Amino acid sequence: MFDSEVLLPDLWDILGAVPMTLLMALAIFVFSTIVGSLFAMVEYRRITVLRELVVAYKVAFKGVPMVIVIFLAYYGLPPALQFLAALVGIEFNGHLTPNWVTLIVALTACVAAFQAEVVKGALNSFDTGQADAAYSLGYKRSQLFRRVMLPQVIVAAIPDLANSFMVIMKALSLGFAIEVVDIFAQSQLTAALNFYYLEAFLIAVVIYMVIAYIVTHGADRVEAALRART
Amino acid sequence: MLELKDLRLSYGNTQVLNGVDLSVKRGDVVSIIGPSGTGKTTLLKCINYLVKPASGTIAFDKVKMDYQRPDKTAVQAIRLRTAMVFQQFNVFKNMTVIQNVMDPLVVVQRKSRDEARAIALKELNRVGLSDKLDSYPSQLSGGQLQRTGIARALAIKPDVMLFDEPTSSLDPELVGEVLRVIKDVTSSGITSLLVTHEMQFAKNISNRIVFMDRGVVAADGSPAEIFDAPSNPRLAQFLNSELAIQ
Repeated sequence: MFDSEVLLPDLWDILGAVPMTLLMALAIFVFSTIVGSLFAMVEYRRITVLRELVVAYKVAFKGVPMVIVIFLAYYGLPPALQFLAALVGIEFNGHLTPNWVTLIVALTACVAAFQAEVVKGALNSFDTGQADAAYSLGYKRSQLFRRVMLPQVIVAAIPDLANSFMVIMKALSLGFAIEVVDIFAQSQLTAALNFYYLEAFLIAVVIYMVIAYIVTHGADRVEAALRART
Repeated sequence: MLELKDLRLSYGNTQVLNGVDLSVKRGDVVSIIGPSGTGKTTLLKCINYLVKPASGTIAFDKVKMDYQRPDKTAVQAIRLRTAMVFQQFNVFKNMTVIQNVMDPLVVVQRKSRDEARAIALKELNRVGLSDKLDSYPSQLSGGQLQRTGIARALAIKPDVMLFDEPTSSLDPELVGEVLRVIKDVTSSGITSLLVTHEMQFAKNISNRIVFMDRGVVAADGSPAEIFDAPSNPRLAQFLNSELAIQ
């Protein structure tokens, strides 16, 4: 029923997928945070028209299941890229786009909608009295942002950002639908060879938990260190 | 040196400033008193363009501006020559006490760090915070936060100090330490505007008292004229209710 003998070889097998999974997660985290921050700034500064577009974007990408977005990207992205490349006169076969790139694009698009809310919340938590003080002292808007606002907003956003990282880690398992192999996919592949499914998934669970522990704990420590200074 | 004319401002349907005229001479210490919600704080904020009046004009020495045609250069010129102290302190929470005082000098006035530090040390010594230089705002009491705010304001060497209810959000036992610092500042001869509910204090330090009521200046005179022989019935009523509390 449960064979502990296969645990160790399975572990080595599945660990092999960890670096790629982490790298993809990191890429999606960075890109989605950048895009989400831009969206949040649009909303915070109440820029007309753009603001409505951001709201529409958020409704779309928060509402549609990620797996659908992944499939849409899988079938839609290669021809779209080929078309765009042709527009600027570059010969490019869109179907050569690696699936992991498609997955990163699709998940970045989804997670950006959530990151926008994270950053917006952090921006809203900044008390405007400090902005009044800075302006009255002659700070320009950019100086206020760099010197006063950003350092405080980052600290406020850390717990939710760490959260997002784990959401991305888990969402990557949807990539198996388009043949991208992450921790979960690798455990399934490993089990398919020896039929020890329970063992393989148990190992996947442990790996996910270890990563979650490191991320949560790390974020807490960083936040505590920075918060002492605010 | 500072002249405001016919300031009007409303938040939604509430008319906050209803045509305020105020002129301040160099060296004046003017206290602005009056019931809550009559636009005292808003008036101070107008001077630094932290709120935007619908109409009116400001003249600060040679800098003139019509609020209907806001002018960035004029706003900045006035901001650089005035300094404001806030009811909620508004010190920068991500900076230590000394960084709070140094930062405007380095960022806005482009002074060297050494020069900024020397100025900051002097002003912080003046407000009695020499032992808290490297503390963060989260580690300070309200009185210490407000004294940081005052040091930060003094450090930019303003021509006019604007105090917006500087003791209103302090615990009673901390009010004294802040009032002592303000008294030291105003008695040094710097032109000051002070919005306050501390009547006795206003009477002691000011050479002029402005009574605001319902968005206009309802009475304006020496402390003796205002406190000892109030001619305006609303003023008399206000003073009675304030004195009844104190």
